[in-house]
Amino acid sequence: MKNKVRALRVQKDMAQGQLAEAMGVSRQTINSIENERYTPSLPLAIALARFFGVTVEEMFDEQGL
Amino acid sequence: MNKDCSRGIARSKWFVPSFSLVVGLAILAVNWLGGHPGEGVISLGVLVAFGLVVLLAGRSETIRGLRGDGRDERFAQIDLNATAVAGLAMLVALIVAWLVATARGQSGSPYDWLLAIGGLAYVLAVAYFRWRG
Repeated sequence: MKNKVRALRVQKDMAQGQLAEAMGVSRQTINSIENERYTPSLPLAIALARFFGVTVEEMFDEQGL
Repeated sequence: MNKDCSRGIARSKWFVPSFSLVVGLAILAVNWLGGHPGEGVISLGVLVAFGLVVLLAGRSETIRGLRGDGRDERFAQIDLNATAVAGLAMLVALIVAWLVATARGQSGSPYDWLLAIGGLAYVLAVAYFRWRG
């Protein structure tokens, strides 16, 4: 699913590992989400959105399924 | 901030090595009872070696996922898919074995029983997960 995770992470000047640590998942999972190879669960999507201070809809593009 | 996303998925890195040891000891015990202690010792050795490799191997995602301490929701999904593939491989092997045994004029046992158990377990699992919602 298309998303803005990478853009928001870079905007915050964070490494994938730091975001992974904050979310309680592996760095590879963050990488897979950013590369649209993995669609996160609803709890993780909400956690990511809250972390970056945006809504889930702003972060994930349902048109890009 | 949020540590909940892998809650209930990750497990101790000692789980797989401990499980290997317990299975190895069980195999040793039944082989001992069956009068083949040598085979039991070899099986225990293989399983202990496997457990040690998993325990002491590096920090690659695959090893950590197999070991259990690097699991998150994505690896849980990978694990589920891998389990389905393994189950399918087992099913195909059992069907082929049953066909070969039957073609040779043998009874097809125990492959028929194992296939029946697999089929029944699948149907029960579908019913349970549908009921659970």
